[in-house]
Amino acid sequence: MKAMRQTTLETVGLGSVIDMFRNGASPANTSELVDKVFGPANDRGSLVISGGNGIVGSGKAMQLGARLIDYDVPIVTIDLPDAPDGLGQHYPGLKGSFGPEKAGKIMANIVKLNYDGKSLPDKLGEFKPRFLLEAIPEILNIKLSHYELMRKSFPGIEMRSVTSGFPNSVLGVGVLHPSFPHQINKVWEVVEEKPSDITKLLWSIGLMPITVGDYWSFILDVLFCGITLTATRYHHATNMPFWKIDKFIRRLVGPNPVRAHDAIGPGASFLTWSCLHHLTETYGEVFSPTPELMRRKESGESWYSSNRPVIDWKMSDDEEFKNWILGPLYQMTSLMLHEDRAHLSHMNAIGELCAQFTNGILAMIRGTGADDVISRVEAYHKLHPEAAGSCWYPEVFENMDNHEWQQLYVNAEHDEGVGVITISRESLNWDVIDELNRAMDWLKAEGIDKVIVTGDFHMSTQMVGADTSEFYPALDNADEGIRVSKAWSETARRLYDDFEVSVGFIAGKRCLGGMLELLMHCHYLVSIDGAQVGLPEVTLPVIPGMEGCHWAFRKANPDQWQKVAEMLLDGKFIRANNATGWLIDFAGPLDDALKKAWAIVKGDDHGIEKKTVATDALDIPRDVPGLSDKPAMEPARKAIMDCIQASCGVPLSQALEIQAKHSGGFMTTKLCQKGEIGSSAKKIMNI
Amino acid sequence: MKEVTPNYPDAYIPYGTWGGSWFPAWHTSPLAEVDIARFAAESMAYVLGKRGIPISKLDYLISGSTIPWLYKFWGSPYLSHSFGHRLPGFHLEQACATGLQMIMKASAHIQGGSHTVVGALGFDKTSNSPAGVFPNQGTYRRTEVISDIWDNFGYDPASGQQGFNQATGETSMIACAGRAARKYKLDFSEVAEVSFLRYQQYFDAKDKGLLDKILFPLEILDVRGQPMGIVDGDYGIRRYTSVDQFKGERQLDTCVAAGGQTHASDGMFTLLITNKEKAQELSPNPEISIQLIASAEYRTGAGFMPDSVSFSVKGLLERTGLTMDDMVAVYDHNPFAVNDVIFSKLLDYDWHKMNDTGCPLVYGHPQGPTLLRVTVEALEKAVSVGGGYVLVFGCAAGDVGISAIFKVNDSKGGN
Repeated sequence: MKAMRQTTLETVGLGSVIDMFRNGASPANTSELVDKVFGPANDRGSLVISGGNGIVGSGKAMQLGARLIDYDVPIVTIDLPDAPDGLGQHYPGLKGSFGPEKAGKIMANIVKLNYDGKSLPDKLGEFKPRFLLEAIPEILNIKLSHYELMRKSFPGIEMRSVTSGFPNSVLGVGVLHPSFPHQINKVWEVVEEKPSDITKLLWSIGLMPITVGDYWSFILDVLFCGITLTATRYHHATNMPFWKIDKFIRRLVGPNPVRAHDAIGPGASFLTWSCLHHLTETYGEVFSPTPELMRRKESGESWYSSNRPVIDWKMSDDEEFKNWILGPLYQMTSLMLHEDRAHLSHMNAIGELCAQFTNGILAMIRGTGADDVISRVEAYHKLHPEAAGSCWYPEVFENMDNHEWQQLYVNAEHDEGVGVITISRESLNWDVIDELNRAMDWLKAEGIDKVIVTGDFHMSTQMVGADTSEFYPALDNADEGIRVSKAWSETARRLYDDFEVSVGFIAGKRCLGGMLELLMHCHYLVSIDGAQVGLPEVTLPVIPGMEGCHWAFRKANPDQWQKVAEMLLDGKFIRANNATGWLIDFAGPLDDALKKAWAIVKGDDHGIEKKTVATDALDIPRDVPGLSDKPAMEPARKAIMDCIQASCGVPLSQALEIQAKHSGGFMTTKLCQKGEIGSSAKKIMNI
Repeated sequence: MKEVTPNYPDAYIPYGTWGGSWFPAWHTSPLAEVDIARFAAESMAYVLGKRGIPISKLDYLISGSTIPWLYKFWGSPYLSHSFGHRLPGFHLEQACATGLQMIMKASAHIQGGSHTVVGALGFDKTSNSPAGVFPNQGTYRRTEVISDIWDNFGYDPASGQQGFNQATGETSMIACAGRAARKYKLDFSEVAEVSFLRYQQYFDAKDKGLLDKILFPLEILDVRGQPMGIVDGDYGIRRYTSVDQFKGERQLDTCVAAGGQTHASDGMFTLLITNKEKAQELSPNPEISIQLIASAEYRTGAGFMPDSVSFSVKGLLERTGLTMDDMVAVYDHNPFAVNDVIFSKLLDYDWHKMNDTGCPLVYGHPQGPTLLRVTVEALEKAVSVGGGYVLVFGCAAGDVGISAIFKVNDSKGGN
């Protein structure tokens, strides 16, 4: 087997993606892993979460409780008697996600025990603790004595800490560092010597364990605490209020780090200070907390005023702002690269998945270029000379041409003449498009002309469509919209034109918009049966720009056009098994779908007829009966129908150009500008 | 330059670290709609930010205003909270004398060594000013409802007790001006000429961009965070083109016509007071040193407010040994043109030589920050001529006059 770069699944001991297809099975079995971690069904032990009323503990009790409920694993939370109830407040959300019956069942499986912090409750033993998830305050001696207490009481218990700062080498237990919001966010940074059954279990129940190095503060906290620190430094230097700095950081990088602290709660400032404090001791002044943070770690006061601001601030010196914000961020990243803290795709993805980065930090750096990154850090050092003294490794940016740097989101593997392209980003952007092209180039250069295109089974649990922030420049420039549409469509077309056999494989819970348009260009489209597919562009509104307005019509029979038109004009999601025949070629359970895809690319007997794409002009009926009654959607429906008519009404060779013009042109209309994309662009960019 | 020992020898005003909003006339700008305290606090951070001074450099805040505002009870600590840097401090008010009082108190704090960098923040909003309801057993109505601006402008309870008739307007500010004009036998033509010159001085300075050095355009947000408008001018000022326009105006009281009296306005202004070392560190022109030399206050007879400043200045000159000829800049807060004519008579000083870049007679009158802006305009004038002594004065409610002399020294010889 050959790959452009290491498959991220391998970092958690689960092999390669091509192995999954070859074996026709998931690399991990949840029941078996539950048995290994919690004991067999007839002697099932419990998951104990200490600090169970805290933000982390209660959130994880919900997340893990919901996912382990079918395996009879009791969740036992222990906390101090005066800790305010953190579990009950999650119930409404739980009910919203699972309905009252299952929510009640999940809550019924959670046992709350109080303890004094020094001795464990007698009752705890009755639940046979097998795995402790420690989520108590970030105070080292308290944590250490807690582990000692658990070890004495329950020898052999597996323990993991949710710490965001202390390394495994200091704690003496493994680390599972989760991300906010804890009841939802699937990412866990894992520190352990080799992938454990616990880590594999997390993956098998749909979470995202990400292996990271054992250093003070983990990647997420270096990025999140780091960008918060940059905000406070900029405030310290310029007096700009935090609310406005947040807006500029959001435009530049993606997150509102200061607002996020208020959203998380008073403890967030302490945690951030704690991480930065330890990082400063280890690495130097680039991490040194500002007085503003020091004050809040003591007082817990909010960062934003309770009153609305009265005067606005404009950015008078954009370069200086970038120096203050990006300079330290790049410098901190140089440290993480120097220490080889994680697979580059992981390091990159953590910012996006957990810290609201629009683009991962490494993608930002790659797009900026080594010289400019180094110049930026040096400019920052002029503003903050103390930071220049340590922890700066410009040499790590020297090798950005290699596949590890170039394929942050898209990987390609091949074996037995079959290639697998995996996409680890849930939304499509220019980075993904560029990396897809490089992956296809590489496979072609390797002599591969049979390919499966899918998610990465790791960081991408769904494919939600285009990253609409990429359309902001197109809102007032039709040429830019046309450029996006054409370039992305041409990339998608390569899946049809450049390979003898291509299979789009939908492995996650949904595949929508641009991602569906991308995969539908494959000769075959295979999905797990529960996945939802759809083209919700009409709801934004925007015109599908990757040939969604004609490609599916050209592949479908005329008697199926009504369904394709409904998908485009109603924007509703459809279960993959309900789209079989006219959009999806096969939908089934994961193992069956894997086997089917492999059979197709291997040329084995698979029983699916390859659909041809009509190259002549089609006469698609303009009238689509049975659409839902949504008058507000009518103008967008008309625009999409106009594009359908125009792009289907010409030969395939002309269709790409025509649909790009419709798509690009539409983005400059008031309808689009006042829609979701225009509104978010205005909110984020026009500040 | 004569040498005079400053009252607060360790206190310095760092040149070029000051600034404020423009003073739009009441109800002519979005300032009419804002929480003025938060506006002032946020603007102070903004101004200092534009001056390259982190607000964290401050360790004390003296605020000053005269019209009640939301959360006034919390005073200066609330204001510094509003710009995000929690400072000790206090709030003071003395009508139009507030600005100079802040400078004096801040200088005293520096001299005493209790703090190192003291911010002075003056502000007021006359638009939509609040009304207070006061139990008052001593009056017929038993309860008094006071609109802080107009009722107080119209009624001086101190002069009212001296036999002036409130119903006929004898207790108002404007009556003070008319009464003083009669006492000193002013000629309305001269008052009109003073008024005309003051407008010319203001517009000349504005047209040359001199005011842009100290006043900042500020974009105001509404409660939704949406832009409400930019305050980038002293709105509401009539641009007179001839002295005859002044002379032709109806006199509301003796020698007091529309063009010869100030108007209510909104705004803020801030400056810093610190020690010598810090002043040099903070100022973009460390070669310029500015110190408060001395100050004086005087209370004149009931209902004669405009002449109070002359007596205050006379006392100040006597005490310091300086003369009007020693002054390179003379600026005053003059709610009435009458003030300047009386000052000219009593001090034998040519009113043409005063207020080179404008004065509150023209640009308006938000009490709290007024004398801060006047002071800074005077200091800028002194810097522009290479330094020297600066006289600043103004009258205030209660027939009070306040005055101060500053010394501007430019070791490089000036601009």
